[in-house]
Amino acid sequence: MKIWLTMEKGARIRFTGHLDLMRTMQRALRRSGLPVRYSQGFNPHMLLNAAAPLSLGMPGLREIIEVPVGEEITPEAFQERLNAALPPDLRCRAARALPDEHAAPMALLRAARYLMDLDEEQQASAACVAALPGMLAADTLPAVRKTKTGEKPCDVRPMIYEAQAMGPHTVCATLALCEAGTLKPDLFLSVLAGLAGVDKPDAFVTRLQLYAMQDGALIRLEES
Amino acid sequence: MDPAQERAIEKLLEKVEKPARYTGGEMNTQVRPWNEAEMHFAFCFADTYEIGMSYLGMKILVSLINSLPYMSCERVFMPWVDFRAGLKEKQIPLFSLESRKGLNEFDVIGFSLQYEMSYTNILDMLDLGHVPVRAADRGENDPLVFAGGPCACNPEPLAAFFDAFQIGDGEEMMVEFLDTLHACRKEGLSRSETLMRLAQIEGVYVPRFYEPSYHADGTLSAFTRTDERAPETVRRRILKDFSNAFYPDTFPVPYTDIVFDRIVLEIMRGCTRGCRFCQAGMIYRPVRERSMDRIIELAEKLEAATGYEEMSLSSLSSGDYSCLKELIVALMDRFQEKRVSVSLPSMRVDNLVKQSLEELSRVHKSGLTVAVEAGTQRLRDVINKGVTEEDVLRSVTDAFDSGYSTVKLYFMTGLPTETDEDLRGIGDLARKVVSAYYSIPKERRAKGLRVTCSASVFVPKPFTPFQWAAQDSIGTVMEKQSHLRDYLKMKGVTFNWHDPSLSFLEACISRGDRRVGEVIYTAWRDGCILDGWSEHFKYDVWLKAFEKCGLDTAFYANRERPYDELLPWAFIDMGVTQRYLQLENERAKKAQTTKDCRKGCNGCGLQRYEGLCNV
Ligand code: SF4
Repeated sequence: MKIWLTMEKGARIRFTGHLDLMRTMQRALRRSGLPVRYSQGFNPHMLLNAAAPLSLGMPGLREIIEVPVGEEITPEAFQERLNAALPPDLRCRAARALPDEHAAPMALLRAARYLMDLDEEQQASAACVAALPGMLAADTLPAVRKTKTGEKPCDVRPMIYEAQAMGPHTVCATLALCEAGTLKPDLFLSVLAGLAGVDKPDAFVTRLQLYAMQDGALIRLEES
Repeated sequence: MDPAQERAIEKLLEKVEKPARYTGGEMNTQVRPWNEAEMHFAFCFADTYEIGMSYLGMKILVSLINSLPYMSCERVFMPWVDFRAGLKEKQIPLFSLESRKGLNEFDVIGFSLQYEMSYTNILDMLDLGHVPVRAADRGENDPLVFAGGPCACNPEPLAAFFDAFQIGDGEEMMVEFLDTLHACRKEGLSRSETLMRLAQIEGVYVPRFYEPSYHADGTLSAFTRTDERAPETVRRRILKDFSNAFYPDTFPVPYTDIVFDRIVLEIMRGCTRGCRFCQAGMIYRPVRERSMDRIIELAEKLEAATGYEEMSLSSLSSGDYSCLKELIVALMDRFQEKRVSVSLPSMRVDNLVKQSLEELSRVHKSGLTVAVEAGTQRLRDVINKGVTEEDVLRSVTDAFDSGYSTVKLYFMTGLPTETDEDLRGIGDLARKVVSAYYSIPKERRAKGLRVTCSASVFVPKPFTPFQWAAQDSIGTVMEKQSHLRDYLKMKGVTFNWHDPSLSFLEACISRGDRRVGEVIYTAWRDGCILDGWSEHFKYDVWLKAFEKCGLDTAFYANRERPYDELLPWAFIDMGVTQRYLQLENERAKKAQTTKDCRKGCNGCGLQRYEGLCNV
């Protein structure tokens, strides 16, 4: 059996890197005494499986982490005991029990929704928000993606599932996040700023939700 | 912080290296909310987060202070240069990790003094925290700023910056100190009256009630009280019941990597060995052990509270703990199932039994560290380091035989009476260690021999038998280091050495008088901070600071002081008497050793106090 945890990584600890966060989870699980399964072999370790690492500096409200467990336990009990052992800025919002055969969260992940708070002191911010309808109306959005092997031209339009203005300096967008293609909020903002003819404003980005795909529609990853 | 400052901090965090140093929120660090405490304590560590968070004394004291119902204690560390520049630019005061309150909003600010070369950081942190740097400039409403820790045993170089010092063990003194301060606040006493009350507490030194005067040659002529109500001699505070003394049952668990990220169990305080260069060995006397039951109880609580996978037993000389083997076995039996490893950071070679090595390696395999200190038996006798070559070779052989292939040997250069022969001795010993490795059959030994020889530079310290000694000049040290480099040129051996200019300044400051405070101030004002970090160490600025203050570095570092000279720290009764230190220095000159006082009392001075030393 395995448990999918829906975790909130708070704004205060947004600079905790992925590996540090995994170590924090491991220590919390140790403190909780929950029946987590370890790997076999010489140096046994917990087999935690995160859907997608968060970028440094980005809080996440509903991040999925999979934990294999050795004994039957109700998800409610798991969540409660884990929360008692977690530091205050890392919370377990939900837990779900799944059979071991169920696909890993990473395999099902297709997209993520982000909240981008643009710096209200920068004029570029309002211009970006104003350029949003134009961006969505475009058929193609050529951009240059930086990859490990260099710069690659690409079209980011198909990677934008939806986007909307949430206020004079705030944008919300659902962007592709999977093996086949990922559009990072940073590049999204660069393209948007390019359309608006301004420099990319500073933004405080929060990852709100992860999604899987079912019958051609996005569904919440924790429900997939 | 107001919202604009909060926003500015968040923006700044985006731009700096290791931002998690400044964000707090770690497991087990949540104290009472700011508004629920009557008095606020800022516990300051004058170095970066990773270093400060690794320091046990801070964990003990922060936890202790938070256990007082009227207090809340928050942590403040020295920011790195990037964050520091941002704070200055935005005029944001240096703040605590827990509630993000500026240093100037606290009632009490306490610094832990670990290392002389972090003193400029203290001035910088106060200044960044918008607190007047000099005690004389602080008014009735400013925080009370004091310091404790090992370097407080010569408080004089920092006398101008602190309102008070705590000298000795903090567990009981801190509570008395804060209770008194709390009462003074309630009574509405003035700053000066409050300080006079605090000065009555055993171990507390309030510099403003004392005044030094000097001879024409620069030496101290008198150290007098300006107010008769202050004690003539400040007696170091010594904790009697060590076993039952306060010890935290939770540790903060950082999100990011720190230097020592594990449970630390202080099993013993003090040391009976009597190494003559070692300040800790003198100023933490007498030796006091924590009971095995208590250690195990703490280990269990700490493991449950932290989820750490590693615990280490800590003390000046853990190998001397009376039931070390039983303790290690008991801890391993309890924690093996939970995959917690147990380690001893400072293993002594002379009593390290092979079996306990094997016990250790059952769970955790790291290298063996041996503090040999000197290259010949003669010099080891001078410094009273009771380690023989046979001891060293036996234990490294045992270690190689148990599957270790990494050995670290620690030495010191510049010890009193050192000659070239002693340096050659270091090379000879390293060669023998290498042969010891090859004497183990190939199938049995681990691959990849690595012998690291580290040579630090001897710094004479107050309250040691060598407190009168001259330090080698920088030129001499460099010459010796280059010889050592030659003597240690062999396969499998690496040589590490210390920057002699740093040790030289350490020597100037550690045995400095009140005038050295002006040098520290000048060096800081001229741009010295983070001196312990080689990339920021500005030797020339320090030298200029001495010059500007009209003080001679050699006067402090390279001069042998006569016994009849009044030493700046002589007004403190550390337990060990000046007479005993003198006796030990004389024995050193004759290369006579002094026995471990577990084999019989040597009359160091602690015996003057009824019931204190139960060795
Ligand atoms: S009083 Fe005697 S036994 Fe105690 S520390 Fe001093 S020399 Fe050792």
